[in-house]
Parts: sequence; C-alpha cells; structure tokens
Amino acid sequence: MTAVLRSRLGVLASHLALLAGAALTLAPFLLSVLTSLTSPQQFAAEGPLSWPDPVTGANYAQLFTRYEFVTPVVVTAQVVLVILVGQLVFSVFAAYAFARLEFPGRDALFWVYLATLMVPQAVTIIPLYSMMTAVGLRNTFWALVLPYLFGSPYAVFLLREHFRGIPGELIDAARLDGCGTLRILRHVVVPVSKPILTTLAVITVVTHWNNFLWPLVITAGPQWRVITVATAGLQSQYNGNWTVVTAATTLAVAPLLVLFLVFQRNVVRSITITGFR
Amino acid sequence: MKITHLAAAVTAAIALAVTGCSPVAPADEPAQGDGPTTVTVRLWDQQVAAAYEKSFAEFERRNPDITVKLNVVPYSNYFTQLPLDVSSGTVDDVFWVNTTYFGAFADSGRLIDVGKELADLVPGFVPAAVEQYTRNSTLWGVPALTDGRIALYYNKAMVAEADVDPNNLTWHPTDPAADTFLPAARRLTKDSAGRTADQPDFDPKSIVQYGFNAGRDLQAIYYNFVGSNGGRFQDEDDAFVFANPQAEQAFTYLVGLINTAHVAPPAADTNSNGDFSRDQFIQGKMALFQSGTYNLKNIADGARFEWGIAPMIAGPVGRVSVVNSVIAAGHEASPRREAALRVLRWLGSQEGARFVGAEGAALPAVTAAQQAFYDYWHSRGVDTRFFGPEGGTLTIPAPSGPKYGAADAAMEPIFNEIFAGRIAVGPGLQEAQDAANAAVR
Amino acid sequence: MRGWRGRTATAYLLLAPSLFGVAVFLVLPILVVLWLALHRWDILTPSTFVGLANVVEVARDGRFLHSLVVTAVFVAFTIPAQTVLGLAAALLINRGLRGSAIYQVVLVLPWICAPLALGVVWRWILAPTDGALNTLLGTRIEWLADPALALPSVAAVSVWTQVGYVALFFVAGLRAIPPAVHEAAVLDGAGPWQRFWRITLPLLRPTTFFVLVTGVIASFQTFDAVYALTPKGGPQLSTDVVAGRIYYEAFESRAVGNAAVMALGLFVVLVVVTVVQQRWFARRTTYDLST
Repeated sequence: MTAVLRSRLGVLASHLALLAGAALTLAPFLLSVLTSLTSPQQFAAEGPLSWPDPVTGANYAQLFTRYEFVTPVVVTAQVVLVILVGQLVFSVFAAYAFARLEFPGRDALFWVYLATLMVPQAVTIIPLYSMMTAVGLRNTFWALVLPYLFGSPYAVFLLREHFRGIPGELIDAARLDGCGTLRILRHVVVPVSKPILTTLAVITVVTHWNNFLWPLVITAGPQWRVITVATAGLQSQYNGNWTVVTAATTLAVAPLLVLFLVFQRNVVRSITITGFR
Repeated sequence: MKITHLAAAVTAAIALAVTGCSPVAPADEPAQGDGPTTVTVRLWDQQVAAAYEKSFAEFERRNPDITVKLNVVPYSNYFTQLPLDVSSGTVDDVFWVNTTYFGAFADSGRLIDVGKELADLVPGFVPAAVEQYTRNSTLWGVPALTDGRIALYYNKAMVAEADVDPNNLTWHPTDPAADTFLPAARRLTKDSAGRTADQPDFDPKSIVQYGFNAGRDLQAIYYNFVGSNGGRFQDEDDAFVFANPQAEQAFTYLVGLINTAHVAPPAADTNSNGDFSRDQFIQGKMALFQSGTYNLKNIADGARFEWGIAPMIAGPVGRVSVVNSVIAAGHEASPRREAALRVLRWLGSQEGARFVGAEGAALPAVTAAQQAFYDYWHSRGVDTRFFGPEGGTLTIPAPSGPKYGAADAAMEPIFNEIFAGRIAVGPGLQEAQDAANAAVR
Repeated sequence: MRGWRGRTATAYLLLAPSLFGVAVFLVLPILVVLWLALHRWDILTPSTFVGLANVVEVARDGRFLHSLVVTAVFVAFTIPAQTVLGLAAALLINRGLRGSAIYQVVLVLPWICAPLALGVVWRWILAPTDGALNTLLGTRIEWLADPALALPSVAAVSVWTQVGYVALFFVAGLRAIPPAVHEAAVLDGAGPWQRFWRITLPLLRPTTFFVLVTGVIASFQTFDAVYALTPKGGPQLSTDVVAGRIYYEAFESRAVGNAAVMALGLFVVLVVVTVVQQRWFARRTTYDLST
C-alpha cells in the first residue's frame, strides 16, 4: 500500500468518523422537528419514524393557543434581557475596581469572590427559596432575576483578568484629559474589551435562557412561567402527546440555536477564551 | 456610542420589567377602586376547565365586579406545587384539593371554613363528598365533583371478535374455574401476527392490542382490586395496612396480568406515563379500560370506534369501587377573600355546578346539578348508569389522612418496582407499607 | 494624597452592587442553609429547632449516601467518555479536512441547548413502546425504566451533550502546539502513534486538566436532564443523583432540614474533590500554556 493511498484512506476514514458524529448529534434535533410537524393522528398510527404527511403546523398552533406558550417565551426573554444588562454593567464596575483601583480590603474581598465560585447551585437554592418566600417575593419577576442581577463572581473574575491587561498608559492618558472613572470605563475600558464582553453576554444569555431549577421552585402558575418550566410541565401533562411536546422542545432550543449559528465564530472563540482565561 | 446603546437597553429593560410585566394579568395586585376584582381558580382537569369557562362567563355576567381566571396545573405536578404555593401565599384564591392534602391545609388554617361561611349550601352537596372533606366537624371546601364509581370501558368490535361479554367478568386470585376475566383478557390481547395471548406461539414482545389496563393506578385499578378481594388499604386511623394476604393476592394477580399473562402494557410504559393506557384505548390498541367518569369526555371525544361502558370487574367479594370526590377550597389569607367566597358560592350552587355536568366533563357533587350530567351523556347515546349504583354498591374507603401525600411519595417508587416485577409482591408491599407509615409519622 | 480617600470611595461605589449581590445571594444563603440544617421545617408550618437530629436522620436514612454513590458512578462514566470522545473529535477536526469548521459547530449544538429540553427529547427517543430508538432498532428495550440501563442511558445522553464542548478546548489546545515540535519528531522517525502518546498528549495536559476539573464539578451537580429523563430518582432510585435528591427532599417531601444537611454534604464533597484535583494538577503540570 502506497503512502498516498494510505493517507487518502485516512482522510476518508476521518471524514466518515466526523460525518457519523455529526449525524448522531443532529439526529435527535431532526427527529423532534419532524415529529413536531406530524399530526397526532399520523403519529399514533405510524409511530415515531414516519415522515410527516401532510406537514402540519397544528402542534405549534396548539402550543400558542391552547397551551399559552406565548407567555413563557416573553417572560424568558424579559428575564434574560434584564439579567444580561445587570450582569454586564455591575460586573464591569466590580472588575474594574478589583483590577485597576487600590483600596483597603481589596485582596480579602477578592478572595471572598473566588471562594463563592465554589458554592454549587444545589446548596444555595433552598436558602434562597426560604429567603425569597420570607420577604414575599415568591412568584414575582424580581424573584427570577434578583439573584443574578448584580453580576456573578465568575464574570468579575474573568473581566478582572482582562482589565489588568489593558495598558496603564491608556487609562492614565484619559485621566490626564480629566475623565472621571465612569467616562474612563465608557471610553477606554469597554471599547477595548469588546470580545470578552461579547463572550460574557453569550454565556449569560445561554445560561439564563436554559435556567430551570430556580424558576421551577420560585415561580407558581402561568404568570411568570419560563420556557424550560413550561416545557417540563407540558411533558408531564401530555405525556404521550409527543407531537406537541417536541414542538415545545423545538421552540425552547430554536432561539439559542439561531443565536449560536449567527454568532458561532464569536462563540467558539469565546468559549475557549474563557476556558483559558 | 456603545454606552448610549447600553443605556438605552438598560432603560428599555427596566421599563419592560416594571411596566410590561407578564403578558398574563398579574393576580397579586390588590383590587383597584374601579375595575373588576380578579379571582383566580386553580384546577388540574382540562375538561372541567372548559366547562368552568362557560360557568364563569355566566357568573361574570351576573357579577360584573368580578372576573375569574383559570389556572390549569398538570396533575403530575399539582400536589408538589400546591403546598409550596399555599405556604408562600402565592396560591390561587380558589383551588381544587383532594384528600391527600386538605387535612394538612385545614389544620394549619389555610382554608376558608366553608361549613361556616356557606352553611346554607351544605345540605345540597353529595353526602359522601361532605363526609370525605369534613374535618374537626366542619366542611373545608365546596365539593366540585365526584368521580362516581369506577367502570369498564370496552371496545365493541374487539370484545365481539373475541366473543367476550364485558358485563360479566370476574377475577379470582386462586380458583381458575371462578376466574372468567383472565381467559377473556387473553383472548383480547393480540400480537403483530394476529395471535392472541392464549395461543402457544403468542409473541409478548410485539403486542399490538392489549387486553386490559392493569398498572400502578390507584383509583382505577389497585384500590378496587384490593377491595374486591376483601382487603383494606388503610385502617380507621389512617395507618397503612395493605401488607395483608388479600391485598397481596390482588397485587400478585395484577402483576401477573402484566408480566406473566402479558395482557396489559409493561409497567415501564404505565409507571412513567399515567395516561399511557387511556391513550392506547383511545387509539384503538386496548380492548378493556377500567376507569372513571374523569376519562369519559376524553374517550367520547377521542375514540374513533364504537365503545361501551360495563360494570367494573368483580372480585371474590363482588364489585368494590373507590369513590372519590374533589373540593374547591378557598384561600383563607387571600386579599380577595370576599370575592373568592362569592365564586365558591357560585360553584356550590345548582346553576354554577350545572355547567360541569352539562358539558359532560364530570359528575357535579351538587346533587341538584347531577341530572345535567346524565342528560348530556344520554343525549350523546352513552349509558352512564354503571358509574352509579347499578355498577355496584360496595366501596373501599378513599385515601385519607393529612400526610397522605408524603406517604404516596414514599410508596410510589416501590409500587413501580412491584408492577415491573422486579421485587416480589409480598416483601414489596411490606416495604411500601413501612415506608408509607414512616412518612406520615 | 488627595485622591486616596476619593479613590477608595470610587472603588466601593463601583463595587457596591456586586458586593450586595455576593453578600445577599451567595454568602447569606450559606448562613441560612446552616440555620435550616439545624431546624425541622415542612414549609407549611413554622420551623422548630432540632439540633443535629437532621444530620443523624440523613446519615441513617441512607438515601443521601446512595445518591452520592449514584453521582460518583455517573461522573465515572461521563467524564472519561466525554474526554476521550472529545479528544478524538478534536484530533479529527484538527486534521484540517474540508468542512472541519462545520463539524465543530454541529458538535457543539447540544451544549448550547437547555439540558431540560434535551432531556425531554431523549425521553421520547428512549421511550419503550413509541420511542424512536426502539422503533429504529426493532427492539423493546426499557432504556430508562430498567434499573440496570437507566443510569448508563442518562450518562450517555449527558456525554452526547458535552462531547462537542470538550472538543472545542482540545482543538484550541492542539492549535497551541507549535508545528515545529511535530516536525522535529517526524525527522526523528517517530510514527503517528508515538507522536500522539509522546508529544501531543503530554503537551495537551493543561487542556486535559482544565476539561477534567470543570467537567467533574459540573457532573457532580447534574440535575435538569436527569429530572427530565427519569423523574423522582428513576427505577429503584438508580438515577437518583445528589442534586435531584436534594431537590426532592426539599420541595417534594418538604423535609427542608434534611435537604439543607444534604446540600452542605454536597458542598463538602465538592470542596474535597476540587482540592484533590488542584493538588494533582499542581503536581503533574510542569508548564502552563496560558498567558
């Protein structure tokens, strides 16, 4: 066997392996989209692997009319938006203070921030539930966003590392021009930190669009139901009605998939940036 | 430039959060001087919710100062969610409760004392329902519906083909000669090659038509099988006593139907999906489906074949059914307590309760409103008499006790294993009974 | 000297919102959970102080220990599988074949999606009678209802969601290896296998450690997908992972004190696991690719 042939075979094998991996990854998505376009009658009669005939939007129509899926989509979008803005602004503030300002107690406080990175959600969920309930905030919009609104230690940590890398001359020059801290943040720090801020924004949107456990325990009823909780509820109520359930899951994942495909270069780069902080 | 965008976004977000609120009208806001008060009602049944929509439309017409909004919570989450919402005060003003929780709620002062507030209506309620929900000598809710007796839905073509008379089926745990049910169920079960379960080369792995809906279903199956074998589930002071020989025989029989005779769907399907058997029946893949009035509308609307209703399957001591009712309770701490009471009064009146029956959704627990239910089904050509006394008169007491919910949570995983045939019935029941009794202590 | 006090004030003003958030939503809950651990509370009625009775009860009950074992098995299954598969995918992607970028994007898709929604999708795919997988295979395997299969099935779904994400890091790690190193090895006559074991793998060590550490921590806390696939701990509690056990204990059994004890137990376990990994990491890593 010649070397050329062997390398050709190697390329072919690699392609086949990658193709198989991609197929395995995509199959569940495709199957659920197809099922969501199948009528319940056809699904009952022909089983899960039948091609939708005719293609129907009835499951989605039902989702919005009968199962009131408009509310969860809107509520989730509101929650994500408010958290996104709060996290970015407050994390930038805090990270800048840690990175570029000297003040008493800085190192001790930063140590506390680092320590809180280790606290798992499973630990805080119960006390947070009892705290929110005690102050009468259960099943309110604020209960959904407050715990995340003021920035996360992770974001502060990430941004601090980055802000420390900003050349001191840039900031000094701005200060000499008479800029206050807010203007420095606005005209110097934020513009040079666009990639890392994009990264953080993407991580925040993904995390909170997908958040399930906290909304599950802290909301009640349709008023502030988010999309993951609505999907779980639909699944348990319409257990065997897979055509409607797959429509719900498709709706729950589609916005992020679109977001991801639009920003995929950014996201792929940013995931690895954050990994290698 | 960037910052202006950001500032705009912040403003927009906060504006959205503060003023936009949820697209669903907020229920927590106290009633404003003008505008109607919104009272919310929580329930789990879609069919009844549809009937309630009509009932409350009439109520709103007569009470322009009150609007009623329904909140349908899936049954599978209902009793996980309810205590949390009751304790945090975020529960709806009026909500359905069954036996499993009303005791705990009543004892902690969460429920409006209906026996006192609506005393004039109480004589009009179905006595069994009043009795079930009386605690500390008062009634804790307006009986919303009563399930009547359990009966047997059957697929006419299937029983005709197998030459089975669904009106006369008896099971027996030990005497095969007295057991007419099992041979019938065998003839009613078919594999993909058309062989029935009583044929030697029947393939239990490729069943296309099930005979019966044995499975972990408290109300429709195992309570009744235990009762019709002379067994008990709880004693007078609510302790669990189902690890007794009669109950063990009943469970052994049921597990045998699933795992030995293969006439019922595997527990893997029915344990995780309480509606699996109902859906199989509606899709024409099951011959006999034992259930209650709560599935009548689902079946009548969903089934595309001829079907009928027979009395429930009899056991050695006859036809013994669990008879359960549901109440609509009022939230004592609701800021709209007076409005909630008016809604409850409507639900307890003949006019208000009539809609539930008139839509055929459920049998109202207001005696004078029940005729509407029978009339509705009569007009659709459905014979409902076996949900009443003609389907038998013996009963086994419905689940009771303030902590039944905790006991149920402890029993369920063990029952799952029993039905799946992974633990032996005798030790399994003992384990479940111990777990249930420990949970209520 | 003029600015010193002013700068401190500025710093604390900037920090204020974030400090408030950390204090109220991360530090205070730790204190509250300690308080809850010493009380019996069923959410409906007022709590009572019971001292260490909850600890005794949790220790005696055995379900918490069982859930820790289940979680450990889950971690032991998912981490090696997703690391090996992720590395394999990265090696293939890194060959620079046509379409590599597309493969990379496709493989990451599950990671972007809500684990809960994917759990629901897979619950349907793995359903015994009307599930897609059994229909495809023509079998009737009870993937999620058989206690022997449930945990491996759940773990496999988890691996499916993570492989592409892990691969991303390995791709970045591979790209950071200077080509000269490989060229030198080729000149020395090293074959592809030798180069992989002797050069690529050792040079990837920082990436591997990062992927392992974050993966183990995340796996230990897995909840959403398991909740969707096998509610209430699955058949015979075979998929009763610890985060789920805490949730069910607190919000279904409403034994909040017991759940608080379990939460603290999980916290301790995680700290120990993290410290052990860091030690290992510190000892084994001789250099650092990060800048």
